[in-house]
Amino acid sequence: MAISLTHYLALATALFLTGVLGVLVRRNALIMLMSIELMLSATNIVFAAFSRHWGDLSGHVFVLMNFAVAAAEAAIGLAILVEIYRRRRSVNVDELKILME
Amino acid sequence: MWEIILFYFCGGLMLISGIMMVASRSAVVAACWLIFGFLNAAGIFATLSAPFLAVLQVLVYAGAIMVLFLFVIMMLQSPVLEAERRPLSGWVWPALLLPPAAIAITVIGWMRVPMALQPAESLPAGFGKVEMVAELLLNKYLLAFELISIVLLIAIIGALSLGRVERRLPWR
Repeated sequence: MAISLTHYLALATALFLTGVLGVLVRRNALIMLMSIELMLSATNIVFAAFSRHWGDLSGHVFVLMNFAVAAAEAAIGLAILVEIYRRRRSVNVDELKILME
Repeated sequence: MWEIILFYFCGGLMLISGIMMVASRSAVVAACWLIFGFLNAAGIFATLSAPFLAVLQVLVYAGAIMVLFLFVIMMLQSPVLEAERRPLSGWVWPALLLPPAAIAITVIGWMRVPMALQPAESLPAGFGKVEMVAELLLNKYLLAFELISIVLLIAIIGALSLGRVERRLPWR
């Protein structure tokens, strides 16, 4: 039995939902950002799997786009985190509720 | 045959490292697990006959992005959070059933599509080679390529303006 598209989709779904759980459960903003990276990586696997399935290289191009988006997200997110830490001495998202009150 | 072994090996390790990343208390340990997971994602790309993506996964994700993460973690010096010692609230435990349920739904749903469990048809020559990807990227998707470079430029400017230390100017 060869590996089919379904195998890759199941793996990517599990990875994506692990990332969702990380964003929902964890309160450390750094680990929440890493969970978002995990979700982006899961979508990369889906792109590459469909690309292989249909024999069309367009999926690979969009994986490259996703790399650029992930890099931009990490850079901006970490810059915001450093700025928050500079002002509040903490990266716990439970303590960041100025806009909520 | 080797494809199947590589898929289950790398996929299983990637899933384990993702779960360990979410569950680990220290941010440094989480980042190390995530680097391990991204290296396994490169193996998954290798089974998908995408060698270029596998190389870029190691270079860009495991190399550049995670080094940036580790750098910031070391700079912030607060890897362990006191507030996370509190027990998880009650609605979290049913949510842990979400990944297995989603896998079941995906597998059952795609088993009903007749071609989904077939392996892919024969690939065109040169599939996944750098030349083919580059030709597509610079011809058909040239506009998207230009736009993504603008996104990166805006990210650079945003990170610079966010990370700038405000000096106390004499006229303020």
